[in-house]
Amino acid sequence: MYPRWLWKALALPGVLWLVLLFVLPFYAVIAVAFGTVDPIFQNPVPIWNPFNWNFDNTLKILAQFLPGERYWTVFVRTTTYIAFAVSISLLIAYPVAYYISRHARRTKVLLLVLLVLPFWVSYLMRMLAWVGLLAPDGLINSFLIWSGIDDTPPNWLGGHDGTVIYALIYGYIPYMVLPLVAALDRIDNSLIEAARDLGMTARQTFFRVTLPLSKMGILGGCVIITLPMFGDYYTPNLVSSSPSTSMLGNQIYLYFHGGPQPDVGATLTVVLAIFLSILMAYYLYSVAKAQKDLQ
Amino acid sequence: MNTIVDTAPRRGLFAGILHRLIGLVRNPHGKPRALMTITWLYMIWTIVPVVVAIAFSFNAGRSISVWQGFDATRWYWGDPVHSVLHDPGLQAALWQSLKLAGLDMLIATPIGVLLALGLARWRGYGKRPANFLMLFPLITPEIVMGVSLYLVFQYVYVFIDPSTTAQVIGQVTFSISYVVIVVRGRLMSIGAQYEEAAADLGASSWDSLRLVLFPLMLPAILASMMIVFAISIDNFVIAQWLSCGAGCDTVPIKVYSATRSAPLPSINAVAAIMVYLTLGAVLLAFVLYRFLTRGERVKGQAEGGLTQMGSVDFN
Amino acid sequence: MTQGTNGTIQLVDLTKRFGDHLAVDGINMDIPSGEFFSMLGPSGCGKTTTLRMIAGFEQPDTGRIVLDGQDMVHSPPNKRPVNTVFQNYALFPHLNVFDNVAFGLRRGRISKDEVNRRTNEALELVMLGDLGDRRPSELSGGQQQRVALARALVLKPAGLLLDEPLGALDAKLRRQLQIELKSLQERVGITFIYVTHDQDEALTMSDRIAVMNEGQVEQMGSPREIYEAPETAFVADFLGASNLMDGVAHGRDDHGRCRVTVGDHELVAALGQSDVNGPGKVTIRPERVQLERPGTADNHENRIEGEVERSIYIGSAFQLIVRLNAGCTIEVEIQNSGCHETFEIGSRVVAYLPPDALRVLPEKRARSQGAPAVARASDTERTGKREETTEPSTEKTDTGRTARQAQA
Repeated sequence: MYPRWLWKALALPGVLWLVLLFVLPFYAVIAVAFGTVDPIFQNPVPIWNPFNWNFDNTLKILAQFLPGERYWTVFVRTTTYIAFAVSISLLIAYPVAYYISRHARRTKVLLLVLLVLPFWVSYLMRMLAWVGLLAPDGLINSFLIWSGIDDTPPNWLGGHDGTVIYALIYGYIPYMVLPLVAALDRIDNSLIEAARDLGMTARQTFFRVTLPLSKMGILGGCVIITLPMFGDYYTPNLVSSSPSTSMLGNQIYLYFHGGPQPDVGATLTVVLAIFLSILMAYYLYSVAKAQKDLQ
Repeated sequence: MNTIVDTAPRRGLFAGILHRLIGLVRNPHGKPRALMTITWLYMIWTIVPVVVAIAFSFNAGRSISVWQGFDATRWYWGDPVHSVLHDPGLQAALWQSLKLAGLDMLIATPIGVLLALGLARWRGYGKRPANFLMLFPLITPEIVMGVSLYLVFQYVYVFIDPSTTAQVIGQVTFSISYVVIVVRGRLMSIGAQYEEAAADLGASSWDSLRLVLFPLMLPAILASMMIVFAISIDNFVIAQWLSCGAGCDTVPIKVYSATRSAPLPSINAVAAIMVYLTLGAVLLAFVLYRFLTRGERVKGQAEGGLTQMGSVDFN
Repeated sequence: MTQGTNGTIQLVDLTKRFGDHLAVDGINMDIPSGEFFSMLGPSGCGKTTTLRMIAGFEQPDTGRIVLDGQDMVHSPPNKRPVNTVFQNYALFPHLNVFDNVAFGLRRGRISKDEVNRRTNEALELVMLGDLGDRRPSELSGGQQQRVALARALVLKPAGLLLDEPLGALDAKLRRQLQIELKSLQERVGITFIYVTHDQDEALTMSDRIAVMNEGQVEQMGSPREIYEAPETAFVADFLGASNLMDGVAHGRDDHGRCRVTVGDHELVAALGQSDVNGPGKVTIRPERVQLERPGTADNHENRIEGEVERSIYIGSAFQLIVRLNAGCTIEVEIQNSGCHETFEIGSRVVAYLPPDALRVLPEKRARSQGAPAVARASDTERTGKREETTEPSTEKTDTGRTARQAQA
């Protein structure tokens, strides 16, 4: 009906845009990371030809990720924060998603609306909200003093690991609940009824049927929030101004905007991207495997 | 002393929830009260802080953390120096945000719609890589995109300085994928049948594009425009990395820098304005979508549409 | 675009391949003007692909599609004087009923008054005259089906292509619409090409039926020919009217009948081809099998001993499942005349299979390509699996039984 070239022609502007402004820019990061530094001006000189890439700086920087070296602490801190944030998020998100998809009947639509609401409130606004609440004279501390729980509450915004983890959870958890709801919604109710019919207790049904069937949703939800958390630098900055809570993203940000050393920043970005690609590849591999198993 | 007082009521709460959970396992047909409690607590926890923050934009005093009385107008336009209306920085940031969002919407939507059409119908070589390419901006951490664009403007597209132009280009780059996801989803559900029917009834390719495919795609196009507007107005990282300094500050950038110094409730006010705008855009998108597809509603689709609109936003 | 053409449609050596799957494998059909012609077959037999090639949505790899002497293989669907009633109707959801029906007319150079007049006429024809301003979603399934019909007929096509148009409706409505559709076709006199997997539907409405399997035509003929004289085991099985037993044919005997062995029993069959050799199927209708007590018959011709496995009372008749010594089970139907002797479960019986009710069918229809039957068997499984999702699965046995009951 339509000429064959039409669809490709329609896709062309978009593909071109993404190639020129997504793929090429990433290549620029690599070129800077594997480039050299001008000896006089100390600004990076990208090397575009992969055969001339210079890995000396990269190796030096990678070596600093080893235990005891410069980036070791920040790398361990970042992964610890994220590990805590993701697992606590899962512990909160799963029951919520489970209730919404399996038990909420009349309130389901309302709950879904409420669930989606945070997506449409700026991340910065949501952080600002907690900055106000956690301020030394904020509502949280006022409550603690008023109720007598703690007469001298700490300054939550003064560089606490817990506050950063808490803020990460608050910031990203909505992105985890939604894929979980979708995954749990996909489970055919008759499978659960069949399990009960075949003599399983509610507990057995949950652990042997529901949980395994929602595995991909759990994994998907974890990946969806892990990836942006690794690139986060604004959350720790907003709820803790102390360098003792800085993450990998802050490190990258500093090399570009603090004391400018874009070559180091670019290398760290490449390291981060490779690390996350491995994570993503594992996820895609599991998805493909799970799909194969189901056939 | 401290610890005892601290943990005692909590333990009571946890014990209560645990008790309920045990009850649920013992009696699976009873109402899952524990789960319900957790769910509603979660909803309150995610939403109430934002409501509180918005409430502080009506604070009569200068604090964003201590309530000093109600004043509906002071931080919006009442205060002659610090209100959103009179603070030149905030006002400029508001305009900058709207400008970026508007331009982003106008550029990303057509490109994304065409790409969605192409990807949905394109057969043969190149489709898979193109599809993959389209998905990448969705999963790439924003800082990686920020760094990439920052460097590409510095070393390759040297004729573009960090500026409004650069910010728009950056936002379009990550917005295109959202448009594609929304519009392609619609195209999938439309299928090829209506176009085949049109051709069968004698319509030329152009006629079937104009009279059938476009009207059927329209709801998705409008919805994706609103979504692009909403995510663009909330965007912080890309705008910050490609900012030219004070003149390029958007509202999220202002919120960021103000939060780290000494924020006034006018920051809450300007952030609240953004929330109103975003929710307005999303609500408009939803209502338009419902109105334009009113002829095709099947039961249960309302939920589907809602979750779909949220799930595309996971960067 | 829609002249008062004759509407004779010829398909010549049509083939279509999707990847490595041969969907349509050399089909020849000759459909005279004004005929109600059905293509009947299971999911993935190529019937829908054939229809889509006639409509112009698929391009055949080889072969010709000739309408009134003109090859239309190279004309796009919007230039072909045939129209389609789609499986899910494909009514444009953004247009009301009137605009849906008028859609095709407005593509041509027809005056506004003429468009209105003909659209209203078409709506009257399908008895929807007063629903013109409704949206398709506000109509019932049966009404939507009529709109689809009106939308196609209003263009006065030379041929109307119907792709399982009743598939989405419930059984009662389907029966009613079958009759309406047939009478409508007789009134408008347009060639109908009807695709279905439901043998009931095909048998009720068609002038002629082509039974298709694996992209080929197994048999073409009137409903009666197809039902009563199936030429291949597939046709007999698909129409579900007969017992099918595995056997080996040994060619013609002195009386011109076919000799065949089932298990270690020799039988003779007088129906169908007699000069068949090699493995095949032996078929007999349940109502033609006669049951006797052991030792009561005077000869052993076409008699096999067996045991009653099950007896089902179905009102007008008894249905018995008999396990024969030849190693297979057959279904036997005995009319409930009120006084016949009953056969208890487990009792020994002799089944008499009269030669004039017994038919030998080759395993596969002899194909021009000469592909051996064995090599094809795996093929069936593969293609069957792949196509399963595209069309509703066929409940062969169930509908087959209905057909039989309707006959009895």
